Order: sequence, then structure tokens, then C-alpha cells
Amino acid sequence: MSLPTIEELASQLEAVSGAAEVSPDAPLQHIADVDSLDLMEWLYGFQNQYPHIPADESLFADLDDTTTLRDVYAKIVDLAPAQA
Amino acid sequence: MTGFDITGWGMSVPERIVTSAELAERFGVDEHWVVSRCGIRERRAVNPGQTTASLAVEAGRRALDKAGLTGADIAHLIVATATPEQPSPATSAFVHHELGISGSAHDVNSECAGFVYGLVSAMALIAIDPRPILLIGSDTHTLTANPADRDLSILVGDGAGAVVLQPGAENRVKAWNLGADGACTGSLKVLAGGSRMPTTQETLDAGLHYAQINGNEIYLNAVRYTVRTVRETLESAKVDAADIDHVVPHQANIRIINSILSHTGLRPEALITNLQKYGNTASASIPIALTEALEEGRIKAGDKVLLAGFGAGMTWGSILMEWGGVAA
Repeated sequence: MSLPTIEELASQLEAVSGAAEVSPDAPLQHIADVDSLDLMEWLYGFQNQYPHIPADESLFADLDDTTTLRDVYAKIVDLAPAQA
Repeated sequence: MTGFDITGWGMSVPERIVTSAELAERFGVDEHWVVSRCGIRERRAVNPGQTTASLAVEAGRRALDKAGLTGADIAHLIVATATPEQPSPATSAFVHHELGISGSAHDVNSECAGFVYGLVSAMALIAIDPRPILLIGSDTHTLTANPADRDLSILVGDGAGAVVLQPGAENRVKAWNLGADGACTGSLKVLAGGSRMPTTQETLDAGLHYAQINGNEIYLNAVRYTVRTVRETLESAKVDAADIDHVVPHQANIRIINSILSHTGLRPEALITNLQKYGNTASASIPIALTEALEEGRIKAGDKVLLAGFGAGMTWGSILMEWGGVAA
């Protein structure tokens, strides 16, 4: 199964959190309506949809004021070939 | 196999109410933040002198009264708790004495899944020894939460719930499922006070006698394993999620519960929840919610009732039963 696009991930996070918009380049901690539990719910959905990618909660282990969805996506891209 | 009916139920919560507004003020956040994060508006907390066993005794006595039994009629007492009266002996010994139980007594520590583990244990016991069993879930997690730990303090509450099981001709349990993943012992833990790390002045100074929670890990695993156990139980029973009349989940966090519902197909209308009033009362949360639902007349004979819990460890379990003819 191919990797989702970052836009698809942003849409999934919008659906889970109820946030009006999740911009890939906005710091996650600054997006209204998105909190750590939303990120975990989104991750749970991702794990089910892409079981071949070993993504876990460590994706967000070093989340800080500047971390964006694009940063998280880059980690996912790095993880994907490891299982290929 | 001998079946059983739940013929008595009861609960006990401390009088002292701790509101989310109070906690919000203590931690410098607003009340909306607390409530939106977990769905809890208030919780109960023990006062000095109230303990896990004292709450258990009160809930147990009410369940016995409801069943029309006394302690002398009880062949087995099971107390599910992760916050025992003291390290030794078991909390059930204290409860046994207070209630005048004539039979055996033991504790179950499966954290917040303790009541479901206890119920399956009781089910097995009654099959080989068809006499009444008293099962109690009781916890006082407000005493294990570090007062400075905002994440845990907003979640936990104290309480106890109890049920009496009596042998019956019909097997009302349609399916059950238990599981554990010992690789997850770090998700929620109390490090000091056991054989691995005996209590010392250093452990006390470091606050290691308080519970520590990794919220993200708990959230992911709670959803993952509870969804799995519910699906497996429904599959074993050959029952569709949409046909469940009542689901009584461990009352941990409304967002975890909603996530479990959405991933299993259980109907939101079937949900029995009271965590807005009591918070996460651990082993007690399912029997407290069950007791309230029964007292309100929500559960009727023939209804399909699904209990599902998860706890630190991780542990999880679910049981599907068709409710017997005993009314509130």
C-alpha cells in the first residue's frame, strides 16, 4: 500500500480533531482543537490503515512548539522503506 | 455448565466532591480545558478514615441487602482493587471480616480491568462450586495521584461497586474475552513500595510512591486493546455490535470511550456512562455504572449487556451477557 500524501494526513487529523483546518506547516501545538489525544486517535487510525509502517507514539515523543505535521510526515516517510 | 444470575448490586462513593473547577484553579487552567479533555465534571475523594476496604464494605453490604443475603451466605468473596488497604494482607481479608463472610476471600489486581477479570473468575468459580459469590471493585486512586500531577489528578476518583452472583439454571454469559500485554508495564505505574523498589527515604523524596502515567501510550493501547476484546467477544457470541442494548465500559475518559464506540460499531445510544460525576474509579467504575443503570431501570430482562474494561499492565477484558429476570 502506498504512503498517503501529507494533504491526506492533514484531512484525517481534521476529521479526528474537529479542527477547521490543519495546515501541514503550522506548529501542531498551536492548531486550535488539536491536542495530544487527537494525535493519538489519528495515529491509531493510521496504524490500522498502514500496518506495514511501524509508526507508534514515538512519532510525537519530541513534539515541541515548532513541530509541524510536515515534520511528522518526514518521520513516517523514513519509517516506510524499513518494512519494504 | 452452571449459569448465574446477578441478584444484587450496590455502590459506595465518598461524600467529598472535587469539582473540575476546583482542580482547574489549582493547576492554573480553565475548567473547560479539564472537561473537554476527559469529560469529567466532578469526582469523589475519600476523607481521612475512608479506605478502599471501607468503601468496599459499604458497597458489598448494599449488594447483599439487595440480594436478600448476608455475609454468612457467601461462599466466595472477590475484591478487585489496585489500591489495596495495605500491602498485606489482601483487602478482601478486611472486607471478609466486616461483612461476616463465611467462605473464602481473595483479591484481583488487574487495575482498571479488575472487575471484568473478577467477574470471569467468579463465573468459573460458580461453575465448579454453585454457591453465592460477592464480587466487589473498589479503588482509591486519589491517594496514589501526586497532588502536583495535573494529568492524573483530573482523571481519578474514588468509589466501590459490588454485585452478588447466584447460581442459575441458564447460562446467560454469551461470550467473554480476557487479555494482557506485559510489555506495557510502563504505561501507568507506581514504582516504589514493592519488592523491585522497596520504600526508602529516597523513593519518598522522589515521589516514587505516586502513580505515573504515560497518557499517550495509555490512550493508544486502551483503544487498541478494548476494540480488539470487544470485537472478539462479539464474534464469539455471533452478535452484531448494533444489537447490543447496553455497553458499560470502564469509565476512564469520554474520548477513549467514544473512540472505542466508533471503532467497534457499538451504538452511542447503548452507552452507559457516569464518568462526568465520578471520574475514573478504576476497578469500581463498571459496577458503579452498572448499579446506577439498574437503579434507573435502564436494563431489563433479556437485554444484551456488554461490559468492557482495560487497565494498566496492560490488561483488558469484555463479557457479554443476557440480563436475567432480576429487576431493580
